[in-house]
Amino acid sequence: MDDGGGIMGTREENRMMDMLISLKADLASSIAFRYACRLADLAEIHLQTIYVEEVEKEGYPPGSGWVRSTWETGLIETAQREIAQLINTEKTHCPVLDEPIVRIGEREEELLKEVKREAYDVFLEGVLSSSDERLFYQKMRSKLYRQLACPIILVKNLVNPARVALVLAEHKDVKPLVNTFANLFEKSKLSVDLVYVKANRNVPAENQKIPAGTAGPEWEDARHTLDDARERLAFHGWTPQESWILQERPQAIGEMLAPYGLVGSRLPRAVHKSNMVMDLLSRVSSATLLARN
Amino acid sequence: MKILVAVDQNPYSAHAVVEVARLAANTWANVSLLGVQSKNAPAQAAADGSVSRALFEYRQRFLAQFDGKDCPYAQAALDPALVEVAKKVYEARPPSPAARKNLTLRLRIGSLGREILSEAREAQSDLVVLGCDPANGCGWSGGAGVPLKVANEAPCSVLVAKKKKAVKRIICCLDQDRVSQPSLEMINQMVTLHDGAQLVIIGIGGHEQLDAGVEKKMDRILRYYHARGIDPWIEMVDADALDAFVARESRWGMMAFWMGPQSILEKVFPRRKVNKLIKGGDASVLILR
Repeated sequence: MDDGGGIMGTREENRMMDMLISLKADLASSIAFRYACRLADLAEIHLQTIYVEEVEKEGYPPGSGWVRSTWETGLIETAQREIAQLINTEKTHCPVLDEPIVRIGEREEELLKEVKREAYDVFLEGVLSSSDERLFYQKMRSKLYRQLACPIILVKNLVNPARVALVLAEHKDVKPLVNTFANLFEKSKLSVDLVYVKANRNVPAENQKIPAGTAGPEWEDARHTLDDARERLAFHGWTPQESWILQERPQAIGEMLAPYGLVGSRLPRAVHKSNMVMDLLSRVSSATLLARN
Repeated sequence: MKILVAVDQNPYSAHAVVEVARLAANTWANVSLLGVQSKNAPAQAAADGSVSRALFEYRQRFLAQFDGKDCPYAQAALDPALVEVAKKVYEARPPSPAARKNLTLRLRIGSLGREILSEAREAQSDLVVLGCDPANGCGWSGGAGVPLKVANEAPCSVLVAKKKKAVKRIICCLDQDRVSQPSLEMINQMVTLHDGAQLVIIGIGGHEQLDAGVEKKMDRILRYYHARGIDPWIEMVDADALDAFVARESRWGMMAFWMGPQSILEKVFPRRKVNKLIKGGDASVLILR
């Protein structure tokens, strides 16, 4: 089996996962940071936090030299104080952390530069769960999400990350998603389920949740996809606890995924509202692992 | 904690009694079961009439929820007649020996809503619980607007318990300026009562974001619950969309609202909307004060 891992590549054996956590002084970041700490209890992760102090173009002082340098130093010190407050609150519950990286500039640009510079294995940030799914789509379509080379974990709520669902909607999801998951969480105490989804806005309200082993011949594509995913997981030393086929409306599937602390999916190149998987991910309340092609 | 359970002789009251028994098993609250008899009924009926008999039956139902040795309430049989302890107020003779916690049977004569409110005030109850059936607009026979009147006018928190399928989520619209420790505790108890129910705390914002002060408050609430082993979800809802959100999410079984004086929540979700939810929806409604 080709175990290339696609764009992400395979982590060197026995190396800890390098995670870059983007923080701001807000609630979403506080939740995301605590979630990362919980994840680090279950997997070997090196956590690196980063804070970008955004300055409007007109906010920059004229000129250069020591005037500008002093101004930048002042900004960085203020930012460091703000973010240290957030980190220090959690330090006792979290594995050892390096000093946060502080940058000044345009947030997405600076994050992209940092990920490229250090070749992180995964990028994590928080967003508040909202009844308005436009926020989720804004993130998915952002320059940051389009251009990041590594997988992304988007945290909406602080939950126990121990149970993972890998959501497959078509056969081409198997390789990027399973490889991403297996490479990131090679040595971890997570458990994983496979979920094949056939999201359809027009299906009747009663939910159809079929154990993969009992699915009839009409589910041949689903069974084939799940079999391949199982085989690929087994190659990496994983055995899924359960495999399901779900046929439902996206909202209902999102709700059925509520018991999972991390829901994995492949991030499509173009994010449309018509994409059913994106629709259901926008309704997932916990955290989402987005795998690259 | 003092819980007042207002009952009539309908099945929803039996459901409310069982709910309170389960709550009391966690809190070891002092519980009072209150029936109200019409002033037009014969005087003798207060001591041993149908309302009085219903109270004794509810007591048995309440006690049946406890394992004998873990029960903080006296289980001995009571004298089957109530005695007048104040004008138009009757009570079962307390059992002997006294138990660690009180389970009192009380009956008042007068109009339903007014007597329940008087009892809540006089007993300084922390929580009034009453059942109702949404199929008939959540009215009581003999006083259609009783649950609404009590929910709106009680000096303490009120739980309007509706019998329906299991509560899967408890959706809490807290006033973001004035969240009190007792109301957080009350919600904590509801989560314990509905084992496995997901607690969802609503942050009301505008323009797709929360005010920084609100975020800080929500963070403190989150930490409060995390320290108690509960992982609530936070959901941000635009004030303009709160109506539709409540209508959609009430299907999960329980909605909680902070309705203190000058509550900001009242501006975006006024009392008449809460009343509509009590009358028409399937969800139990907890009014926090």
